[in-house]
Amino acid sequence: MARVSPGGWLLRLGGYALLVLGGVLTIAPFYFMFVFATHQRSEIFGFPPPIWFGEHFLTNYQILIEKIPFWRAYWNNFYLALMTTITSLFFCSLAGFGFAMYQFRWREQLFAVVMATLLIPAILNLIPFYLLIYQIGWINTPKALWVPAMAGALGIFLMRQYIISAIPKELVDAARIDGCSEFQIYWRIVLPLIRPALGTLGLITFIGSWNRFADVNVIMRTQETKTLPVVLRTLQGATDVEWGAIMAGTALLVAPLLLVFALAARQLMEGLTSGAVKS
Amino acid sequence: MKQIPSLLALLVLFGLGLAQKTTLTVGVFPNLDDALKAQIQLFNKKYPDVEVKLVIQQYADHHNALTTALATGQGLPDVAAIEIGFVGRFAEGQGFEDLNKAPYNAGQYKRFFTPYTIAQATASDGRFIAMPVDIGPGTFFYRVDILQKAGVDPKNMMTWPGYIAAGRKIKATTGAFLIADASDVAWINIFATTPANTSPYFDAQGKVIVDSPRFVRAFELAKNIRAAGLDARVGAWTNEWYDAFKKGTVATQFSGAWLQGHLQNWMAPETKGLWRVQQLPEGMYASWGGSFYAIPTTSKNKALAWELIKFVTTTKEAQVAAFRAIGAFPSLLSAQEDPSFNEPIEFLGGQQARLLWRDAARRVKPLKANKYDRIANEILTQALSQVLDEGKDIQAALTEAKRLIERRMR
Amino acid sequence: MRKSVRIPTSGHAGPSLAMRWSSFQRRYAPYIFVSPFFILFLIFGLYPTLFSLYMSFQAWTPSDGWGRWKYVGLENYTFTLTDPMFWRSMWNTVWLGVFSGIPQHLIAIPLAFVIHMVLSRFKTFVTAVYFLPYITSSVAIALIFNTLFATNNGVINLVIAHLNTWPLLGALLPDQNINWFTSANIKYALALVVIWQFTGWNTLLYLSAIQAIPKDLYEAAAVDGATRVQQFRYITLPLLRPMMFFAVSLTIIGNMQLFEQPFVLLNGGASAATPGGQTATMYMYRTAFEWLEMGTAASIAWILFVFIGILTYLNNLIFGRAARGGD
Repeated sequence: MARVSPGGWLLRLGGYALLVLGGVLTIAPFYFMFVFATHQRSEIFGFPPPIWFGEHFLTNYQILIEKIPFWRAYWNNFYLALMTTITSLFFCSLAGFGFAMYQFRWREQLFAVVMATLLIPAILNLIPFYLLIYQIGWINTPKALWVPAMAGALGIFLMRQYIISAIPKELVDAARIDGCSEFQIYWRIVLPLIRPALGTLGLITFIGSWNRFADVNVIMRTQETKTLPVVLRTLQGATDVEWGAIMAGTALLVAPLLLVFALAARQLMEGLTSGAVKS
Repeated sequence: MKQIPSLLALLVLFGLGLAQKTTLTVGVFPNLDDALKAQIQLFNKKYPDVEVKLVIQQYADHHNALTTALATGQGLPDVAAIEIGFVGRFAEGQGFEDLNKAPYNAGQYKRFFTPYTIAQATASDGRFIAMPVDIGPGTFFYRVDILQKAGVDPKNMMTWPGYIAAGRKIKATTGAFLIADASDVAWINIFATTPANTSPYFDAQGKVIVDSPRFVRAFELAKNIRAAGLDARVGAWTNEWYDAFKKGTVATQFSGAWLQGHLQNWMAPETKGLWRVQQLPEGMYASWGGSFYAIPTTSKNKALAWELIKFVTTTKEAQVAAFRAIGAFPSLLSAQEDPSFNEPIEFLGGQQARLLWRDAARRVKPLKANKYDRIANEILTQALSQVLDEGKDIQAALTEAKRLIERRMR
Repeated sequence: MRKSVRIPTSGHAGPSLAMRWSSFQRRYAPYIFVSPFFILFLIFGLYPTLFSLYMSFQAWTPSDGWGRWKYVGLENYTFTLTDPMFWRSMWNTVWLGVFSGIPQHLIAIPLAFVIHMVLSRFKTFVTAVYFLPYITSSVAIALIFNTLFATNNGVINLVIAHLNTWPLLGALLPDQNINWFTSANIKYALALVVIWQFTGWNTLLYLSAIQAIPKDLYEAAAVDGATRVQQFRYITLPLLRPMMFFAVSLTIIGNMQLFEQPFVLLNGGASAATPGGQTATMYMYRTAFEWLEMGTAASIAWILFVFIGILTYLNNLIFGRAARGGD
C-alpha cells in the first residue's frame, strides 16, 4: 500500500497480530485432530493433553477397521460424491445453457422458481423426503441420495452466470448456421468453453456431497450403505469411546478436503462468492 | 414332540448348509458385541458353516435404527439385540416373532431364567418377543480406601439418611465426593421401589404415576445430595466419569453389577483392590440394565437365528463366556451356578461379589414394560435435571412431567 | 449437408420432416434443457413438501403401514404449539441463532477490512485459512470439538485456565473447569463451534464486497484527511449494506436449521445436556425417528418453515430497504 496515513504502520501491525491470532484459532482444531489421531484415549484426556504427534495412529486405525466397515464407508462417501458431481455437471450446465442462451416463454418465471428453491430450508424437507423415499422403496439405496441432487439450483445459477459472461451469442448462432443441433451446440461448443466453471462447480458439488449427513443418516439403514460421517458418528457414545480412533477416522475424512482445498482454494472461493457478489 | 418342528427346521437348514455357507446378521450395540464375539467362537464350533456378521451401532443409534427399520420393514438384521429400556416398546409393536409359538416354543425355557426378565419381554397380550441374555442386578460400589480414611463404616450407609450423613463426613475429611451424579440416587430409588409387575412410571392400569410419593422421595434424596455439594456433577459415560473413578474423587457409585467389568477392563484398572460392593440401602433390589435377543419377523433365516439365540441364552458355556468376556451377568440360572461364581474377585479385594449379585438378582421384582417407558424416562430425566440444575420445585417438576408424559400418550 | 442432396422418394415428407425436426428441436430445446431440474424438483422437492403439509393433519407412525393414516385436523399443530419441549427447543434455536450469528458478522466485517487493507501477496492464502472450516464436514467439526471441550484437561478449558492467570481477563473467567456438556453450558459450546465454522465464510463474502468498492473513494477520503477508521466507518460500512443483507439472510436461514452440530455434540440426543442444546430441527428429527410421530414432526417442520419465513421477511424489512437504498 502506497498510502501512508498517520499511525498507519501501527494499525498495520495490529492488523497483522489480529490476523495471526485468528489464523491460529482457526487452524488449531485441525491441528489437534491430527495430533489426537496419533494418540490413545487415555493420552488425549490425560494431563497435559498431547500437543505433538504420538505413535498410536496404527493402533487407532486398527480399532477403526475392526469396529466399523471403514473402507466400505469411505467408498460409499466417494461413490455418492462422484455420482452427484458427474450428474450435476451435466444437468446443471445443460440447464444453465438453456437459461443463458435462449429466449423462451416463461424463461424469467422459471428461473425465478429455480432461485426460489435455494431459499427453501433444506433440513425441513428431511421428513417428507424420507416419507417419499420410503414410499417409492428407495430406502437403503445410494440412488435415493444422488438422483434428487442431480440438478441443484446453485449449480444452474453458477453455470448460467458463467455462460452469459464467457460465451458470445454469435458463436452459438454460427454453430447453428453450420447445422449443429441444439444439443450438439451444447456438447461441442459450450461444454469445452466452460471447463473452468465446470471445475469450480465440480469442486463445490463434490465437497458438499462428501460432507452430507442428515439425510444419509435417515435414508441409509445398514452399516454397508452408510457414508463415513454417519458411521463415525456411531462410534461416538459407545460405553468405551475410542476417541483416538474417532479422530483418526475424522482426519481421514477431512484429509481429501484439505488436499482439494490446498490445490484449488482460490477457484473454490471465487466460485462460491461469484453469485453473492453479482446478485 | 415339541422338538420336532425345530428338528425339521434344522434338517432343512443343514440341507441348505451343505450347499453354501450361511450368513446370519446380528444387530448389536457396544459392548454387548464383545460378549457376542466370544459366544460366536463357541457357536461356530457347533455350526462351522454359519458366518455371523455383526452390525454394531452406538446404543441410541442402534435402537433408533431398529425402530425405523421395524416401521419400514427394511434394513433389519436376522437377530436384534434389545436393551432393557427399549424392550417394552418393541414388545408392544408387531415387528418381532412371538417366541411362545412354534417352531420356537420358548415357553419350555422360561423357567431356566431369572424370573423378572421374562415379564420384561412379554407384551400385554402375552406375546414373548425376546430371550434374556444378561441382567444387571443393581449394586452399591464403594471405595474401601476412601471410606477407611474418612472413618466411615459402609454398614452405616445402608439407610439413605445414613448414606448422606456418611457423604458429608467423606467430603469433610477426604475431599472426595460421595457420588458422581446425584441423579443416580434418584434413579436407583425409582427402579427399586417399583411394585411387582408394573412399569416404573405407570401403574397396572397404565396410568402415569410419576408424581407419586415414590418419585418425590427419590427426587428429594438427589436434591439433598446436590444441595450439600456431595456429588461431583459428572454424567455417566463421560471422560470425567472415568477420570473420577481412576483418581478416586468419588467414593461410591450405584450401578449394575456389570460396572465391575468396565472398571476392571478399561475405566480404572489401576484401582484394583480398592473397590467393594454391598447390597443397596434399605433392602432395595433393582435391575440396572440387561439385554435381550429377538428375531424380526422379516428375518430371512429364522431357524438359524433361533439356533443362535438359543445357544447364547440357554447354554451355560455361552453364558459363562459372555460373563468372562465383559462381566455380563448371566440371565440363565444354571450359569449362575457355575463354579466361577464362588471365586473371589481380586478387583473387589477378594470379595465373593458374584454370590451377592446372584442373591440380588433373585430378589428383584419383575417389572412390566410399557410402550411409553422411553419417553417417560426422557421426560423424567429432564425434570430431574430441572430440579437439580435449575432449582425447580420437586412437586412442580413432577406434576409437569406427568402432564408431559400424558400428552405423549395419544 | 446430406438432406439437401437426398432425392425425395415418397412424396415430400422426407425433407420437410427433417426441417420440421430442426425447427422443433430449436424451439423446444431450451425447455428440454431446463426440464431435469423441474422434474426432480417436482418429485423430490415440491411433492414431499406438499405431502408433509397433508401429513401434518394426520396421525401416522410408519408401523401402521403405508396409507393407513388417520385425519386428526389441527391436533398436531395444537400439540406442538402447546408442547414445552418444542418451545424449549425453539428458544435454544433462537438463542443460538443470535449468539452464534451476530458474532460471526461482528468479527467477519472488520476482519475482511483488515485483510483487505494490510495484505496483498498473502491475501488468498490468509482468506483460505479462515475459510477452511466452512468446507469441512460439520460432523467432523463437532467430533473434534467434542474432544476439545472435555472438562478435565480439555484443550479449551486449559486455555481458559491459562487466560485466567492474566490480569483483567482473570476476573471475567470462571476459576473452575467448565463442564460444557450440561444443559446450562452446552449452548455456549455450540455457539463457539458455529462461530468458528462460519466466520470465515462471512469474511470471504465481505471481502469480496469490499474488493468491489472503487479505490478512488478511499483515495478521495484520504486526501480529505480521513483516517483508516473513518474510512471504514463512512465508506466501507455503508457500501457493505447489500452484502450484509445477503450474508445475514444466509445466517438466519442456516442458524434456524442448525442440526448436525447439536446432533453430534449431544450424542444424538442421548446426553444430559439435551434439554439445553437441542435445536428445533433436532427435536423434529427425534419426534419423527425416535418417537415415530410423523404427523407431529411434519407439523413442526411447517411451523419452523413459517417462522423462518417471518424472520426472512423481517430481515428484508430492516436490512433489505437499506440494502436497496445503498445500491
